[in-house]
Amino acid sequence: MANRLLEVTDLEVAYGDVRALWGVSIHVDAGSVVAIVGANGAGKTTLLKAISGLVPAKRGDIRLSGTSLLGHLPEDIARMGIAHVPEGRGLFRQMTVLENLELGAFQPKARSNIKHALEKAYDLFPRLKERTGQKAGSLSGGEQQMLAIARATMSEPSLLILDEPSIGLSPLVVQQMFQLIETLHKQGVTILLVEQNIHQALKIADYAFVLKTGELAMQGTGAELIADPEVQKAYMGVLEL
Amino acid sequence: MTLPSPEILLQLSINGALGGAMYGVAAVGLSLIFGTMRLIFLAQGAMIILAAYLVRALFQHLGIDPFLSLIIMVPVGLAAGWLIYQGLFRKAAAEEDRNISLLIAVGVMFLVQNLMTVIWGGNTAAVVTSYTASGIELLGVRASFTRSMGFLIALAGTALVVLFLRKTLVGKAVRAASEDMTAATLMGISPHKVNAIAFAIGIALAGAAGVAVATTFPFNPFAGFIFSLKALVALALGGIGNVTGALAGGIILGLIEAYVQFFISGGWTNAIAYGVFLAVLMFKPEGLFSRPYKKA
Repeated sequence: MANRLLEVTDLEVAYGDVRALWGVSIHVDAGSVVAIVGANGAGKTTLLKAISGLVPAKRGDIRLSGTSLLGHLPEDIARMGIAHVPEGRGLFRQMTVLENLELGAFQPKARSNIKHALEKAYDLFPRLKERTGQKAGSLSGGEQQMLAIARATMSEPSLLILDEPSIGLSPLVVQQMFQLIETLHKQGVTILLVEQNIHQALKIADYAFVLKTGELAMQGTGAELIADPEVQKAYMGVLEL
Repeated sequence: MTLPSPEILLQLSINGALGGAMYGVAAVGLSLIFGTMRLIFLAQGAMIILAAYLVRALFQHLGIDPFLSLIIMVPVGLAAGWLIYQGLFRKAAAEEDRNISLLIAVGVMFLVQNLMTVIWGGNTAAVVTSYTASGIELLGVRASFTRSMGFLIALAGTALVVLFLRKTLVGKAVRAASEDMTAATLMGISPHKVNAIAFAIGIALAGAAGVAVATTFPFNPFAGFIFSLKALVALALGGIGNVTGALAGGIILGLIEAYVQFFISGGWTNAIAYGVFLAVLMFKPEGLFSRPYKKA
């Protein structure tokens, strides 16, 4: 067995009486890119929120390197090494690019390394260096997404969670986004990615899970799922002739 | 109506601005607490009056100069604010129940008011020192010494808060939490810590404001509520969440009051102040100083 970084087993999550996830199990190996795909309302975002502690699990377990995350507060889970770029990016729009990045390294163990992490982030995102003193809210959509990802890398997390990084971006910027994810992958960052852009996501993913109305419908390597006729029919708009 | 002489106008403006700075410093505290907790801490005025009574007690019983007592009042305020949050608000804040938080704030206000009445009686109190009546004269106008000191305390207090929020990582975390608490927790920022910090600084400011109030105005246990309301007006004028705006809002309110008192009549002061409050909330709810940034 490869080095399991994250292991989610039989996870059930409910919002009041409404069950959002029904016994979902996924895993992420260290150093890999794992995609979670599925239609709107399949429970993808809920799964990510459960992992980072933003919604409580009803049943099941979530383990990071063997340690259970259940019952931990989001701020503690962040300190344990998970960086979550939420839907909508969660930038501090009234604060500058630099301040956003500094806050990415807020955790005590990241603080001492802040200068080095900042250099690294600016190397990877030269546009952000140009805009270092600008307010985050004044950036373009693509730049904002870059900033959100750069901020998440500031703490050198063991797991980087990206919720729909390509949403609302122009096709060209979407390409850049996926290239960036590959670059991070090559640098050894472990990434858990939720995407509606299913074809792109499966192309870069080492492994992927398909969620359907709160349940796990399929799993396999990215290549396997791209080739799967059912996935093509259901999610990639391939017409049956 | 003939226009008054420039000296009188200047004198009015100075009096108004110096008095308004008191509202401003109260508003800065409200702004901080509102920022992270979305709570209007209605007891802020009562805390300021409590601080004023403590300043008086230190002066009367221990002979400590009111302005010197700042070095006691500020650290005591920091500690008290931290304790008030941990003891009274932490649970409601954890459940994000803002109605309960507001009720607790009202409860604190009444409790503090009544405790003060029991301890010091309901009559008006004042701190009179050798320099209470002295003033600074310049260009034919006169500024009261104690009011000028109060103004300096307000300016210095606000400047320190702004420096803290802008220059330190913890201060930046407080700003981040004010903007988006969920995103802040994803950075590893603890909501309880930033709330407690906001409370600590807010009550420390009340301590500093207490010094300014004790030396300038006669006060009584029930003056705090009006103070909170005035601070709320200042907060709205300056833009909720804008710390320097809150101070400026207080000064503007002080000027409005001074002009209304002189040109119209004292009876109209409060009515017009609250009228301005409503007008700002209706037509410029983001405050007088907000500069929307252009989206690229």
